[in-house]
Amino acid sequence: MNQRKKWLVPAIIGGVVLLLCIWCFSSYNGLVGKEETVAEQWGNVQAQYQRRADLIPNLINTVKGYAQHEKATFEELTAARAKATSINLDADNLTPEQLQKFQAAQGELSAALGKLLAIREAYPDLKASQNFADLQAQLEGTENRIRKSRSDYNEAVKKYNTSVRSFPANIVASMFGFERKAPFEAEQGSEKAPTVSFE
Amino acid sequence: MRYMKTLNKSYKRALRRVACLALMLALTLPAVAQWTVDKLPMVHLQDARRYVCNPDGVLSQEAVQAIDARLMALEKQTGVQTVVVVVKSLDPDDPFEFGIDLSKKYGIGLKGKDTGLIVILATEDRSYQILTGEGLEGTLPDALVNRIQDQVMVPKLKDGEWDAAMVSTIEALDGVIRQDAELIEQYELEEEEMTWGEILLIIVILAGIIAFLWYICWRSSKCPKCGQHSYGYVGEKRVVLDGKRKIVKTYRCKKCGYEHNETEDDPDSGGGGGGAVATSLLLWGVGRALGGGGRSGGGGGSFGGGSFGGGGSGGRF
Repeated sequence: MNQRKKWLVPAIIGGVVLLLCIWCFSSYNGLVGKEETVAEQWGNVQAQYQRRADLIPNLINTVKGYAQHEKATFEELTAARAKATSINLDADNLTPEQLQKFQAAQGELSAALGKLLAIREAYPDLKASQNFADLQAQLEGTENRIRKSRSDYNEAVKKYNTSVRSFPANIVASMFGFERKAPFEAEQGSEKAPTVSFE
Repeated sequence: MRYMKTLNKSYKRALRRVACLALMLALTLPAVAQWTVDKLPMVHLQDARRYVCNPDGVLSQEAVQAIDARLMALEKQTGVQTVVVVVKSLDPDDPFEFGIDLSKKYGIGLKGKDTGLIVILATEDRSYQILTGEGLEGTLPDALVNRIQDQVMVPKLKDGEWDAAMVSTIEALDGVIRQDAELIEQYELEEEEMTWGEILLIIVILAGIIAFLWYICWRSSKCPKCGQHSYGYVGEKRVVLDGKRKIVKTYRCKKCGYEHNETEDDPDSGGGGGGAVATSLLLWGVGRALGGGGRSGGGGGSFGGGSFGGGGSGGRF
């Protein structure tokens, strides 16, 4: 071996290690960026659900003015609201089980809301009230915002999960503990939001 | 003969059946085109003055023009970008989803301000939707949009008066937006800042062009002999060389007295010459760059990249 080849081998090894490091950094940063987007979208989802919860006391008060006898419906809705607002999920903790719990509680609230809206049929004065119409419109708008934020969140999760799972970025992901995040599953049964229809 | 008769009869019956089938087919075939977000022609991109997508001709020409004029004035004064979609049928049959997809595709509204507005009517689906951009949710809360729909839009839709329904709805929305002084004030502030930025940009570009031209002059003024920047054009003579008309240009250095002659062909009819053409081309280019905005009348429009959060209201009639 002559003098020139002696430094050639370490230089190549050094270069490869350097390239590996650069690649590691860039895919790590990419994952961090995508995780941040998921967290942001998740924050938006929670804010929209909170917005819906905030409308409920007002809604109950308005309906009470026309239908005092529906006490059971009011109590059920209040309880469902309390339960739903008690579950706050951190963006770092978006496992399928946790998300299912969150979704189930919100689904119960949706069902209770549906029941409250259904009683308007028995009270023509309530149905004709402008205040109630406004609240219904706000509620429907909020349901739409929830829908939009959920689909935005799912999109962000899909992008993030694809990066976490695809080779070779998955090596970096497992090294630094990036885990898959759960998307919202298609709504079914009681989890379906009440459809507010205008006849 | 009898046999012929029955044959004739069954033949006729078959013919009738075929005709019946053809008629049924014609009835069941979709007579109405269902517009998807991708298929819908976005007229604003072709012509900045147009805001109404009316591919099925549901609205009359007069109604479209009235709405376009109002929305153009609204955009100029408040920065609210509106898209009106009036079709017979939508695919998917959900005007909310259609509107959200439309906003995602085109980015309706100014970026950062998010003051986009989408009004959708599908007459055969009997559905309507108004979507407010995130920056308009304060100006046009869902309940207010719903009231406009209940009081202005839906009664006319029920009567099938598409023109009147859309014109009066746009009028009502326009009125509400114009009452929001804060929104308008903010837009005007932003606009002023933008023009200052534009002026600065133009100054920088012009300074760059001047510096570049000056550098070229300065470089060519270097004397090939002594290297001083005092070399320049002193004059020219028209001569006849070998029966051809030529121009001899003389360059001289003021410091060392070095002289150099360059011989060129005399351009015919002694007009402006190449230099004049180049100068006028440059001037024309600068003029166009500066005056480009003034000609936007017939040109295509663009959207600002605003986003929608799902605000607004909709329903069926």
